[in-house]
Amino acid sequence: MKTALLDRYDLNGPRFLFLAGLFAFFLCFLFYPLWYAVVRALWVNGEPSLVFFELMASNPIYIEMILNSFRLGMFTTVATTLLSLPVAFLLVRYDFRGKNVLNGLILVPMVLPPFVGAIGMKQMFARFGSINLLLLELGIIDQPVDWFGGGFAGVVILQVLHLYPIMFLNVAAALANIDPSLEEAARNMGARGFRLFRTVTFPLMLPGYFAGAIIVFIWAFTDLGTPLIFNYRQVVMVEIFNAISDINENPMAYALVVFLLLLTLLFFCLSKLLLGGKRYEMGARGHVGSASRRASTRMTAFIYALMISLTAMALIPHLSVLLTSISERWFMSIWPQEITGKYYPLVYRHPIAGPSVTMSLMLSTLSTICDVVLGIAIAWLLARTRIPGRGALDTVAMLPLALPGPVLAFGYLAGFSGTFLDARHNPVPLLVIAYAVRRLPYMVRSAYAGFQQTSVALEEAARNVGASPLRTTLQITFPLILANLVAGSILCFSFAMLEVSDSLILALKAQYYPITKAIYALMGRIADGPYIASAMGMLGMLLLMLSLFLAGRFLGRRMGELFRA
Amino acid sequence: MVRVRLMDVTKEFGSVAAVERVDLEIERGEFFFLLGPSGCGKTTLLRTIAGFYKPERGRVFFDDRDVTDVPPEKRNTGMVFQNYALWPHMTVWQNVEYGLSLRNVTHEERTERIHRALQMVRMEAYRDRSPNQLSGGQQQRVALARALVIEPDVVLLDEPLSNLDARLRLEMREQIQALHRSLGVTMIYVTHDQKEALAMAGRVAVMKAGRVVQSGAPRTLYSQPVNRFVADFIGEINLISGRAVQLGEKIGVETSVGMLYGRPGYDGIRKDDRVLCAIRPEAMDFLEGRPGETDHVVTGTIRNTVYLGETEQYVLDLPDGTQVKLVDRHPLVQKAFPDDRVRIRFAQDAIAILKDDGEDSAS
Repeated sequence: MKTALLDRYDLNGPRFLFLAGLFAFFLCFLFYPLWYAVVRALWVNGEPSLVFFELMASNPIYIEMILNSFRLGMFTTVATTLLSLPVAFLLVRYDFRGKNVLNGLILVPMVLPPFVGAIGMKQMFARFGSINLLLLELGIIDQPVDWFGGGFAGVVILQVLHLYPIMFLNVAAALANIDPSLEEAARNMGARGFRLFRTVTFPLMLPGYFAGAIIVFIWAFTDLGTPLIFNYRQVVMVEIFNAISDINENPMAYALVVFLLLLTLLFFCLSKLLLGGKRYEMGARGHVGSASRRASTRMTAFIYALMISLTAMALIPHLSVLLTSISERWFMSIWPQEITGKYYPLVYRHPIAGPSVTMSLMLSTLSTICDVVLGIAIAWLLARTRIPGRGALDTVAMLPLALPGPVLAFGYLAGFSGTFLDARHNPVPLLVIAYAVRRLPYMVRSAYAGFQQTSVALEEAARNVGASPLRTTLQITFPLILANLVAGSILCFSFAMLEVSDSLILALKAQYYPITKAIYALMGRIADGPYIASAMGMLGMLLLMLSLFLAGRFLGRRMGELFRA
Repeated sequence: MVRVRLMDVTKEFGSVAAVERVDLEIERGEFFFLLGPSGCGKTTLLRTIAGFYKPERGRVFFDDRDVTDVPPEKRNTGMVFQNYALWPHMTVWQNVEYGLSLRNVTHEERTERIHRALQMVRMEAYRDRSPNQLSGGQQQRVALARALVIEPDVVLLDEPLSNLDARLRLEMREQIQALHRSLGVTMIYVTHDQKEALAMAGRVAVMKAGRVVQSGAPRTLYSQPVNRFVADFIGEINLISGRAVQLGEKIGVETSVGMLYGRPGYDGIRKDDRVLCAIRPEAMDFLEGRPGETDHVVTGTIRNTVYLGETEQYVLDLPDGTQVKLVDRHPLVQKAFPDDRVRIRFAQDAIAILKDDGEDSAS
């Protein structure tokens, strides 16, 4: 006789052990680090105290910092909205030749971490950068223009150019999800144009838009690399980063981390609260195939012009990185004085750059293996079994997507300090785990989608003709979801290769620098540093581009689902 | 080939019993049907036999072997799934081959058996196609070949024809029947289509809400339904309520349209029980110009008529308000028109007396 619990759920020995292990893993590497920061922020000399938060609320320096971060988030969110809303509207509602190509073009800016783009942008838009020199020479201006607005504008621009694809994916999906007959019904009653959009379309797509806006805001708020490069240091993230070196003397950083954590939590609760009851179940669709209509030649031309100029704008950082990477010397001149390819081989020979490539490859490979194993198992449990705590498992596995990366990295550094995992001695284990935890949602989602689209009957048919469960999994299920698994692994791997915040925070010794930290370190050196850094950025960009292309090939249209909340 | 025996089988999902206390014996080589409306538990029962569900209570036997705890892959059943479940990453040939590759079969025998199976369902020309290049009917046939090639002890078919269009359905019916005749294997077939069951089955179990209501040969079910549900689910039926006043081989029932006599449809009818007189629409006809006859004759008013080609249906209101349907099976001319007052006669021996349990009908 089995217990009631075992009867009600598909629970057996191995599954129970796996779940227990998973629970322990998340407890150690997701909840403990965050909990540690919370405790350190709220316990002073063995007593609960809000002294750090009082300081945060009263000290003008901290107030200024928090306001700056908010401004970054707000400006970036608003700008990405204004940019992506019309584009999404055009691309969803119109059919034209080459629509898929343009849809792909949108994603291109994502292939570069914004802070790498910042390196190139500085070269072009700095006080004595190419643009100012050009304008001076043409006599349009007589004083160099500060394009970056003291760094703030520079950060916003780069974040917008980097993040608008994410906003676009969310908005476009929300728009495409609206049952065309709902708009038709409104048209039937006489609504049209902007009124139709305001009263029907926009309210219906609001949940999707909100999800995208929250991601963009949090990313902009918690971006570390870009403000560092632009030397825009009065923001929360940079302050936390600076505090790492004297973490034991200055617990203020813990308070800031907790502040970020609360902010994230608040946003997600808010979105649940505002939209929780408003999940519009789109009923069965009418017989209308789609809401898109053929664009006229004129419209097509307009869409192309818009998209190409937008993408060209978004590619300026990439282009400037490319130019920098092949410049012999580029200082106080409009164009590089001389073109050279010598920095590319240097990437492998340079004492910092070379080992960092090897290090990143190793870290990414290991973390991807973790993700594949964990991701497939979790997705399988979610899709194919009734286990206790399914909902909780789903939420926890997806949590890293919402959690600001630097917050978790900081928690790792502080929480495991003094243990055998101490990142100050050897950050490799923690880096692998950090990469793996942060990318796990991509793998879970990819695999879950695969399981979902594969009818259980296909597995049952195999069992029926005599295949054991293991054989069924290996010969039927895996081949059928292979595309999803490959795409998920590619994404995990390539995002790990160009991961920024964990790498900047956790890798403290030069011998353990991953690529991104090496780029950051090289930027600080005067001579050939920026050139080699740019060359490395280019290589990373190529890798990421190739990966996204491959993943897109495997996943097809479902690619966008991976970047949605 | 095995005899399948279900003893007191109960399968629950949460607190809901999808199958409740079912006892069934399916003989070797029998073509057995599970028939019922959607949600009646027929597919659950089939999947329990296949081993995909483990019953909460009761046992499943293949001959004398208790297979209740045997996993599906060790039961040697051949199942045809409702949506066919052909593996899209394998060709037709590979789909059929898969089951054999898991068995100890020599290469020559394997090839020979796949050939034979594909020939049997007339699909050998499509052996290198992938499943999504096939039509529904072709996929259906491959699914059949895949289930049969492993020489299963029992073949399980889960609504195999429900996704096909009407014409193809008739064609496949005959093919499956022919296969059963030539192979002689035990087959269990789930359907909600009563015509399919009547046309193909050796024996049928009618299910409702997880229980088997009646099982027997199609002819028995049609002519001697045990209750209103079975009567209504298999074909159409007219029901006239009344009171049993005369017991015996024939039950005499006093109704508002006069005395009716019929065979008892259940045991233990007592005097003064409320009962239903059930009669099929085609067991009535119009009585023209024979005023002397009064036995089993009632008067009614035509409400409407429907011409269907091979039959014509007349809906009548009886004096007490009961509505009955009469089917004329060779309608050369329309015999009555709305608002006509007509006399109709119930055929002798065509009335079954059922329990009036107040339950809703199947439809």
